[in-house]
Amino acid sequence: MHFLQQATPETTQYMIAGYAVIFGVLALYLVSLIVRSRNLKRDMEVLQELEAAEAASDSKKQAG
Amino acid sequence: MDTKPRLLTILDIITGVLFAIAVGMVFFYAPLEATMGEVQRVFYFHVSSAWVGSLGFAVALVAGILYLVKGDRKWDVVEVAAVEISLVFFFITIASGYIWSALAWHMTVWQAMEPRLATAAIVELVYAAYMLLRQGIEDPDRRARFGAIYVILGFVTVPLTFLSIRLLRSIHPVLFGPGSPNAQGDMAMTSEMYTTFFFSLFVFSVLFVDLLWHRIRLGRLASQVEQLRLKVTH
Amino acid sequence: MKSDLPASDKAASLQVERVSAPSAFSGFLRAVAAIIWKDLAAELRSRELLSAMLIFALLVILIFSFALDLDARTRGTVTSGVLWVTFAFAGTLGLSRSMATEKDRGCLDGLLLAPVDRSAIYFGKAIGNLVFMLIVEAIVLPIYSILFGVNLFNLGVLLIVLLGSIGYAAVGTMLSAMAVQTRTRDVLLPILLFPLAIPVLIPAVKATEGFLTGAEMANIWPSINLLLAYDVIFIAVAFMLFDYVVEE
Repeated sequence: MHFLQQATPETTQYMIAGYAVIFGVLALYLVSLIVRSRNLKRDMEVLQELEAAEAASDSKKQAG
Repeated sequence: MDTKPRLLTILDIITGVLFAIAVGMVFFYAPLEATMGEVQRVFYFHVSSAWVGSLGFAVALVAGILYLVKGDRKWDVVEVAAVEISLVFFFITIASGYIWSALAWHMTVWQAMEPRLATAAIVELVYAAYMLLRQGIEDPDRRARFGAIYVILGFVTVPLTFLSIRLLRSIHPVLFGPGSPNAQGDMAMTSEMYTTFFFSLFVFSVLFVDLLWHRIRLGRLASQVEQLRLKVTH
Repeated sequence: MKSDLPASDKAASLQVERVSAPSAFSGFLRAVAAIIWKDLAAELRSRELLSAMLIFALLVILIFSFALDLDARTRGTVTSGVLWVTFAFAGTLGLSRSMATEKDRGCLDGLLLAPVDRSAIYFGKAIGNLVFMLIVEAIVLPIYSILFGVNLFNLGVLLIVLLGSIGYAAVGTMLSAMAVQTRTRDVLLPILLFPLAIPVLIPAVKATEGFLTGAEMANIWPSINLLLAYDVIFIAVAFMLFDYVVEE
């Protein structure tokens, strides 16, 4: 156990800043993943509808 | 479009719990470090982030090589996922490292830019260039091929970059403040600190796997959407 | 000489050439030489690439001399940095133009159809790019010496310029071959190149500064070693990967 020569510096605010960045960026990334995933699922639905519509009109053209 | 596997949901929960425990340990279990004060607590997640960044880079490299050798585009999906995660975590590394060394110790940016942090910053630039490269290519095969090549080239530069910056710094010696985090071996760690440190590394590794899995699923979905879009709007 | 032989012997000697290993290598060398010569000859006629690079380099130096307010004292310390930034920018210009004309004139496809190892194309283009960079550097160095009164005729400096240019051209050729196949082309090359060129630029600047300020060789050797390592490693990696850049 060493004898402290100087007082422990008061650096709490920097710790808060550091963890604000860490948690903040992590949270932003998670949100980004969720938003992108949702957008892609929506795009997928739209495209699948379009594909079905095209297939329907193609078969109608072939028949008529 | 695949439904979310149950294993992934379980992993999500485990990751969340582990992360909460790690945060608890950092703030309540690990003791206050005498020479640096509270800001030293940033160290645990700062190093763990650097670890995840490196893991991501290694995975990206392997995926890139596998894509070039096998031509299977699933490796490209893994590669992009790994690069993106590495980009996020190196950013966290740099920002937290800067706050820890520069702000807390009132060093100038120049003094705080020690070789490892500066190398991480350059890796970020390589990733940014990688993203721009991919954005400029429409053909998915060419995009994957060039991406893999750039990841490999980028990986090869890292050790050389690190050595170059260390060379640069050795000619301009930096004055270290008392108990500065850059003075290695200065921080005397108790057993609680070691436990917290290694547990953080472990938790972040689990977090990496969890995020990578999610990001790969996202990438697969994106690739399916792109293929379908081409088919429908031909 | 092949032309002196009767037709049947000529055919036989051609067959032998295609089969034996030493000839495959000399075929490789001939392909590389042919590509270098093609670029050099075209440039000798038009000189448009070299003049563009040269004017650009001089403009960069001019801007630096205004921006940094180079008086005699500060010039000594920043010379190394100014020179290498100039070479890096001018080099980028040469690299992207050289590949762009290749692609636009359809020469690249023609080269790819030739029965020659793909890496011959890489070496040919890389050496050609290197030669252009060296020519521009050979002109800029004396001009800088005269304009700013700094003696740059130092064997050590010339060695570093050579080693640094080799590494830069090695990576730059590879990346410009990729960049030219993208939508964003010219804009993309510097973005791709500069992060990867840092391990060339830092040691080059340090070593050049060392030679200019008469530092001890012991302090300069680490930089030279880094440059050598970079050159060797990247030429090897480019050789292995170039096939993937041009495969279609």
